[in-house]
Amino acid sequence: MKRKLFFRSAVTATILSYLLIFVGGLVRVSGSGMGCPDWPKCFGRWIPPTHIDQIPSYIDATSFNIVLAWIEYSNRSLGVLVGLSIIILNVVAIYYFRKELKLFFASILSLILVITNGALGAIVVSSVLNPFIVSLHMILALMLVSALSYICIESYKLIHIEKFKNLEINKILSRSLILFWVLIVVEILLGTGIRTNLELVSIENPLLSKGEQLNVLSSYKYLHSLLGFGLLFFSIYINYHLRDNSLLLAKQLGYFILAMVALQIFLGELMVFFDLPQLTRLFHTWGSSWLVGVIIILYNCMKNE
Amino acid sequence: MNELNKKLLITFLIIFSLGITALFVLREATESKIQNLNVISSVPNFELTNFNGEIFSDSNLNEKITIISFIFTRCEGACPIMSKNFSVLQTRFENSDLVQFVSITVDPEYDSDSILESFYDQYSNNNNWYFLRGDIVDIIELSENVFFLSASLLPGGHSTRFVLVDQKKQIRKFYEGTVDANVMELQNDIVTLINQS
Repeated sequence: MKRKLFFRSAVTATILSYLLIFVGGLVRVSGSGMGCPDWPKCFGRWIPPTHIDQIPSYIDATSFNIVLAWIEYSNRSLGVLVGLSIIILNVVAIYYFRKELKLFFASILSLILVITNGALGAIVVSSVLNPFIVSLHMILALMLVSALSYICIESYKLIHIEKFKNLEINKILSRSLILFWVLIVVEILLGTGIRTNLELVSIENPLLSKGEQLNVLSSYKYLHSLLGFGLLFFSIYINYHLRDNSLLLAKQLGYFILAMVALQIFLGELMVFFDLPQLTRLFHTWGSSWLVGVIIILYNCMKNE
Repeated sequence: MNELNKKLLITFLIIFSLGITALFVLREATESKIQNLNVISSVPNFELTNFNGEIFSDSNLNEKITIISFIFTRCEGACPIMSKNFSVLQTRFENSDLVQFVSITVDPEYDSDSILESFYDQYSNNNNWYFLRGDIVDIIELSENVFFLSASLLPGGHSTRFVLVDQKKQIRKFYEGTVDANVMELQNDIVTLINQS
């Protein structure tokens, strides 16, 4: 019972966090980051103004854009919701799982990460969207979903002990998955680097088109594509090792990873050839966050004590 | 339909609807940025002189995107920040001959042509920035009635706002010239105007 409760609160927190990454990405691609010029309030109010008359006199009203304010506000309020869901997760963890040290510490870690990232949100605004800080904000979010994905699979294993009891451990597969995860993180950092630099270029050269901005970047952008194709072959290799696996879930996750890597390459190339369409950027970022979490889940599927 | 297919279908539908929502939100955001640049009013006839003696009138605003500020050279608070921000924008838009900058002194008695010229030398890195002076009465009239900027207790009481004027001499928006976020917003709005033309 309490295990199910813990598992459910972990899944809720994870789904909400993924949704939050999506909304956060939406804030970035739509250029709504300064939709609320103050933090944590929005134009001095807990609920953003719907009319320009509601803006207090000490805030310059000319920068008010109701659409951007509400996009930014949805990111903040969803962030609060994620925070609450993780607090609930921690209450359950502290109450029932003090002895399950891995779960207990992973829960505490997720709480620390979500609070830190919320506070970083304030710096994002006060720095007027410094691209480095915005990227750090996303990287912390990826760490958060990593921790939460870990809690999900570990608590799932507690409920379905029998499924994981007689697993044959494939050492090559486990080690490959660790390497795969590390490479995915490197790939994400490269992608984040490209994006950060694109934004820096665009601030300094506002007249360049997106395609021209991409051309300004040095050749490490090709490394991102190259590693992407490498990861595609790697995920085929992992699926090859999973082919006889007795755990259906593991096989399904393997297919998911392969499909996701292929989709990411497709989206990535689409961006290069079509001047970085906003929706593609959004799903490219979001997809990478799915990969990070799913690999952790798959790896921990393969592991029993 | 088995359990897995059902779950896959639901996941697909959720992601699909997220995509549609995102597309809608992105379109609204783009629209709103253009909406926020609605025409406020038109700039009427005026005439001031640049520090090199050339007349600068409202007709110089035609076919140009102009950013206007009111400053004075002895000012030690806001004006250096405002002028620094003008410099930065000037560099960033140096490849566009559509963009020009205008600073009007609110202290024309002290700010002689030569003082304005040395101020120009200090801040400007292109020849598309005009430092204008004229009769103080005209300048107050211009500030208060044309650009809706307070001009009491001059020179210290001038407004620190920038005014964005489009190619048709229409006032589009105001920005707090000392606040980085607003200057960034101005930069984005200039890009919007350039892309529209």
